[in-house]
Amino acid sequence: MIGKCFSFLCIFSFIFACLTGNMKALSDGILAGASKSVELVISLVGIMTLWGGIMEVLKSSGIISRLARLLTPILKLIFPRSFKDKKATEEITACISANLLGLSNATTPLALNAIEKMNKGRNSDKATNDMITLAVLGCASFNLIPTTVIALRAIQGASITYEIIVPVWICSGLCSLIGVILCRLIGKFSGDY
Amino acid sequence: MEIIEKISYFVLPCVVIFVGFIIFFGKRDYFSSFSSGAWNGAKASVKLLPTMCALIVGVSMFTASGASDFFTKLLSPVFDFIGVPSEIFSLILTRPISGSASLATFKEILDACGADSFAGLCASVIMASSDTVIYVICVYFSTSNIKKTRHAMPIALFVSFFCVILSCIVTRIIFE
Repeated sequence: MIGKCFSFLCIFSFIFACLTGNMKALSDGILAGASKSVELVISLVGIMTLWGGIMEVLKSSGIISRLARLLTPILKLIFPRSFKDKKATEEITACISANLLGLSNATTPLALNAIEKMNKGRNSDKATNDMITLAVLGCASFNLIPTTVIALRAIQGASITYEIIVPVWICSGLCSLIGVILCRLIGKFSGDY
Repeated sequence: MEIIEKISYFVLPCVVIFVGFIIFFGKRDYFSSFSSGAWNGAKASVKLLPTMCALIVGVSMFTASGASDFFTKLLSPVFDFIGVPSEIFSLILTRPISGSASLATFKEILDACGADSFAGLCASVIMASSDTVIYVICVYFSTSNIKKTRHAMPIALFVSFFCVILSCIVTRIIFE
């Protein structure tokens, strides 16, 4: 996917530069882009290191599993079927709490786990309503502290850095809510799986 | 709006201090878990370099060739109509597909428009409150033999489109 993005961008830009005569700018752009990528990665190393450490402490001290227990009543409403059948509940809570804390690397394997557990004992290649809800919530990615974005803004010398947190909460909260409502509504009309 | 500012300044320090308390009062050696987690974080970010290099070169070629300006101008009436700054067009395209590609375009937008500009703020909110929809749906169902994802993709795409418009509205209300 990333390879295709890259080749599309290159080919398209080259043709466009030929047509508009921007070839000098294009060749400068290539060099500038390469050094900019190092800048970007270096600026991310600090915050990713700190955040990785913080999350590891929260995980090993059991704070994350406590948060997961707090979430159970809400998750019961969002995933009615799975919580009624007591199927994959732990996996779902783990996945959602990882998402909340912005542990994007950890979320994907947890979600795969949860969906596999939900699929156990079924004999169908159709996704259940709860699986779809989980995937849609993964997409809306409600994230309590958007560290990467804050860090990048701070490095760019923005005067507005942390203030971004509140609009992000509002947006991702509303998006998650709408996603869940749509999932439940459409799920209900398209049959109970 | 001042309250928002104050809350936002508290969030990160609170988390860090909380972790400090755990390390200080914890019965186990939590600092060693801190360093192992931190090391993993550092490794993960350095591993980004090859992908980032290719993508940022691609994106800056796209900008330098004038193609990005061309499309921005072409689409600006549509974007004006829905209240979205046309400079963030490239982010809207890449955000659903790939995390690293959207990070590259995000940085490009901050460079070009300035982080505190309206476009820069919108881009930040979109970047933080949506995810790589197409990637997530494809990967989540990949290991468990599920071929028919039913309404997952349409809802996810709708939500991420809605997120773009909502982000711009919320940004306008809070920062302007």
